Amino acid sequence: MCRIKGNCKDKGRIKENCKEKSRMRENRGDEKTNKSLVRKRIIFFLFLVLLLFIISLLAPYLVPNDPYGTNASYMKAAPSPEFPFGTDKLGRCIFSRVLMGARLSIFFSLLLVMVTMVAGTFLGVVAGYYGGIFDNIIMRLVDMLLAFPQLVLAIAVAGVLGGGMTNMLLALGLTGWTLYARLARGQVMSLKQEEFIAAARLSGNSSLRIMAVHILPNIAGEMIVNAAIQVGTTLVGFAGLSFLGLGVQVPEAEWGSMINEAKGYMQQAPWAVLAPGAALFITVAVFNLLGDALSDYMGR
Amino acid sequence: MNKKIFVFLSILIVSAMALAGCRNHTGEGLPVNETEAAGEGREQEKKILRVSEAFVLETLNPHLDYQGWYTSIYGLTEALFAMDDQSSVKPVLAESAEAEGNEWTVKIKENACFSNGNPVTSGMVVRNLKNAGEINPRFSNLLDYNYKIIDDKTFRITTVEVYPTLLNDLASPELAIVDLDNSGDMAKELVATGPFVISKFEPGGTVEVARNDKYWGGEVKLDGAVFYYMPEADTSLMAMQNGELDSYTSVTSDAAEIYGQAPDTYKLVTVPATRLQFYILNENRLGAPVRKAINLAVDSEAIETYLNGTVTSTSGPFSPTAAYGKAAKAAVDPEGAKELLEADGYILNVDGYYEKDGQVLSLNIAYYAARSLDTLAALMQEQLGKIGIKVTLTCEEDPDGTYIATGDFDLALYCMIADKASDPYYFISCTLAEGAPYNCGGFSNGKAQAWIDELKVETDREKRAELANRIVQLAIDEDAFGYVALFNKTTVMRKGVTNVSENCPFDFYFLTADTDMD
Amino acid sequence: MKKYVVKRLVQLIPMILGITFLTFLLLYISPGDPAQKRLSAQGVAVTKEVLAQTREEMGLDRPFIKQYGDWLFHLLQADLGLSYKDGTPVNQKLARGMKNTFVLAAGAFLLAVAVSLPLGIYTAVRKNRFSDYCIRFICFLGNALPNFLLAIVLMYFLCIRINAFPVIAKGSLQGLFLPTVALAFPLASRLVRQVRVAVLKQLETDYVSGARARGVKKGYILFRNVLHNALPSIVTLLGLSVGTLLGGSVVIESIFMWPGLGKLAMDSITARDYPVIQGFVILMAVTYVVVNLLTDLGCRLLDPRIKE
Repeated sequence: MCRIKGNCKDKGRIKENCKEKSRMRENRGDEKTNKSLVRKRIIFFLFLVLLLFIISLLAPYLVPNDPYGTNASYMKAAPSPEFPFGTDKLGRCIFSRVLMGARLSIFFSLLLVMVTMVAGTFLGVVAGYYGGIFDNIIMRLVDMLLAFPQLVLAIAVAGVLGGGMTNMLLALGLTGWTLYARLARGQVMSLKQEEFIAAARLSGNSSLRIMAVHILPNIAGEMIVNAAIQVGTTLVGFAGLSFLGLGVQVPEAEWGSMINEAKGYMQQAPWAVLAPGAALFITVAVFNLLGDALSDYMGR
Repeated sequence: MNKKIFVFLSILIVSAMALAGCRNHTGEGLPVNETEAAGEGREQEKKILRVSEAFVLETLNPHLDYQGWYTSIYGLTEALFAMDDQSSVKPVLAESAEAEGNEWTVKIKENACFSNGNPVTSGMVVRNLKNAGEINPRFSNLLDYNYKIIDDKTFRITTVEVYPTLLNDLASPELAIVDLDNSGDMAKELVATGPFVISKFEPGGTVEVARNDKYWGGEVKLDGAVFYYMPEADTSLMAMQNGELDSYTSVTSDAAEIYGQAPDTYKLVTVPATRLQFYILNENRLGAPVRKAINLAVDSEAIETYLNGTVTSTSGPFSPTAAYGKAAKAAVDPEGAKELLEADGYILNVDGYYEKDGQVLSLNIAYYAARSLDTLAALMQEQLGKIGIKVTLTCEEDPDGTYIATGDFDLALYCMIADKASDPYYFISCTLAEGAPYNCGGFSNGKAQAWIDELKVETDREKRAELANRIVQLAIDEDAFGYVALFNKTTVMRKGVTNVSENCPFDFYFLTADTDMD
Repeated sequence: MKKYVVKRLVQLIPMILGITFLTFLLLYISPGDPAQKRLSAQGVAVTKEVLAQTREEMGLDRPFIKQYGDWLFHLLQADLGLSYKDGTPVNQKLARGMKNTFVLAAGAFLLAVAVSLPLGIYTAVRKNRFSDYCIRFICFLGNALPNFLLAIVLMYFLCIRINAFPVIAKGSLQGLFLPTVALAFPLASRLVRQVRVAVLKQLETDYVSGARARGVKKGYILFRNVLHNALPSIVTLLGLSVGTLLGGSVVIESIFMWPGLGKLAMDSITARDYPVIQGFVILMAVTYVVVNLLTDLGCRLLDPRIKE
């Protein structure tokens, strides 16, 4: 390590090598334009996410056809003005089903991420703030859950408890909260050393108040960025479990289960696989981009 | 700059080489590659049929669980009797059987012998039956019987009471006759009487069989066969298209459509089989007019269209070609159904559903997501919705542990093999008899019960069929059950492949001595 | 170091106990009756007496603690019991699957590493250049594309449309190619990003600019210092990616009919074959824990500054 330290001695000459260096470090001006660019990116992707969210909420009113209505005369029909994404093997409108699937996938993914974030943060803050036995219990539980590869545990839980939305949420949520708990705990531990917390405590604030007023706002940003990154993973997790037949039940429309159902007749009706696949891909991409932008903004 | 690129390129190449080296290494662990390549070369001279199966064996013991179904499919084992294409029992290893009250005398064919040349003796047959009774709880009744060996090729079974369907039982593939002295623990080897012998057995994986040169039943046409384990029908379809398979059964409707478009390459054979989709109407919860209306609204022919090619709509639980499969149900009549409901005091409300005393007529259909019952549930929901009955669906993971056991349903969907041994008694006794496990919708009819008791001991085939028809018709007329469709057994064969039991409605036959290919 | 290893090994004991308890509990509370499932595997109905007899044989009528205790006792002797489905020892089934999963997972892992390490370093060095953007875009696609979708699309185009690969994956090297790629691509996409970040973090430190300023060759800095310092975090990332790989293998094996552990797990879930599912989950968890332990030890060896 000494060698490296030695290399760092003469910072004075940095500016001479401006051309090379500018690629590696941004100066103040760059940082500023970068920051506002990132802000614009965030707003743009937030807008897209909001759009997706609204679509998912309004899906029942947007669908052109009944997503569950079968039709024997239009089985595996190619895309047409009447059925924009074609129909599946029971003659159901795939476009309508993709929209209804958005409702399930997006809404429940957001819900799950929100719930795990709140629960995980809460447990993490409690563990970090009080320490001792709380900390021990919570962190041992976290360690135990993290000992399982996440998807393996989710598959086992969903598979064993049987399909269905509730069990799938449980399967994915079981490990989801650990991430936030660990992060929150770490942050609280270092915040606890800060003077303003000690001051707040000395001036007679209750622990609850300190946690809510002084600690939470300080760690909320970090938590939200992590949650944003998790949405994409959760979406894929949902679709993956449904694809394996461990998720929602028929005739409910879900992207993963639609792909699974349609892969059998992919040769005759590729749109039945591609439409939900593309929807899933685009949604995950948008959420990932938002997560990236947010974490860029936070300077991570 | 160039240097940097050079460095990166070299990293890339080195890692790629490391990877390739590793791949080659793993390749050595898979000698199958070579054998397959060699197999392709030999194919011109040797006739090896490549087949996919959705089930996999752990041992070769045919008496265990349902394993006999697969050893029979592989052409390894045979039972004393077998079911033919018309669902009647024919002798295989047995020469003849005669009944006198509760005593059955069975004679074994003179020339029947195992693949090692040992003759099939009556002593060995009795040992096999007892062994199956011991290790397979579904055949434990075999232990209650008395066996008497008369000579080398003849033995007598004395059942506890008159048992008219003994021969049907003996035709079960689980009661295959094996040379118990020379098969070890049947974990990896098996000496039996089938036209083929095991040549390579990978528990939980691929099974390879070769011609039994000492087959007692004559010349075996194929040199051998390979059975790949492919639980997903999609894989079988793609492997067939890719030329990696020659034949398989349980073709899905989607796959059938694709094969149908290339009649020069593939031959498709579809026969109605024995697996039945039906629903139970809960008499404790639904009045007679509502039940009748439901039965009038469910259009099994439309369901057949949706499940195109995989099922054949049916009126009764058995194949209409069987003597005991003569049942009739009323034609679909949505208007009639509505009239019935209106006569019962139901009024159509603004949402398009019937209601009585402010209560919407709403039904709960319990089902499980297998054997296309999920599709059936969705279609029935729609059909009933059209006549103004609101339907909610409840999917259970384990029907036997939930709605079948508790009776907590309005309408329950179920799928089972209705005709497992070309006799109606089994299905009738477990769905229509008093206290039967699948009589969970409150069907109780004195006349039917009396006929069922009669059917149990009746030995005359014609009378049995007539009794069965009457009992089933009673259940239909009382709207206690709705028989929707019989699953088809669809077999696809590459052109030139013949005689893979494609016309037989039973799932457990496939390879025979006559199976051949170009 | 020795002390640390011992400490970590001791910590493993309650962890593995916890894993076993959680696993057993999960299967105990699950709905469905394995005895029923076994008897009616082919859709033939059974009577209540036969059912009760089978339940007793399978030991399903004992109380929870007794079942767990017996099971744990056998587990300590590396005996995972018998499969409900067909009575084969679970060990035997797992061993068979493990061999196949190892071939697939190791192939995918090596492929992912071989691709992502050079690309990750390359994109870090070429930050914000055209090639950086191109590679990052591909990785972005790989991150948003679920592996099952990729697998199906690959299979459809490469097996059916142009007949380039066999559908029966088992038994040939060509067959192994598609599942390996489908498993490796999303993993590699993520790794490229992570490696890039790890390397960038080093490149942006003062010592690098200092060294550059003093005229030390770029390549020299990269290999002597930057990679050396980024290695511990890269090793940690690789260790964590094994978890993703194990989960992903379940999906990919199911699609390509690869007879590995994931396929076995899915089959066992359908058949409610509890002992096999238990064995699978425990084997996966233990593998993951051991891999993580080795990664931690590796990091300490690479960088003695890390202190617990």
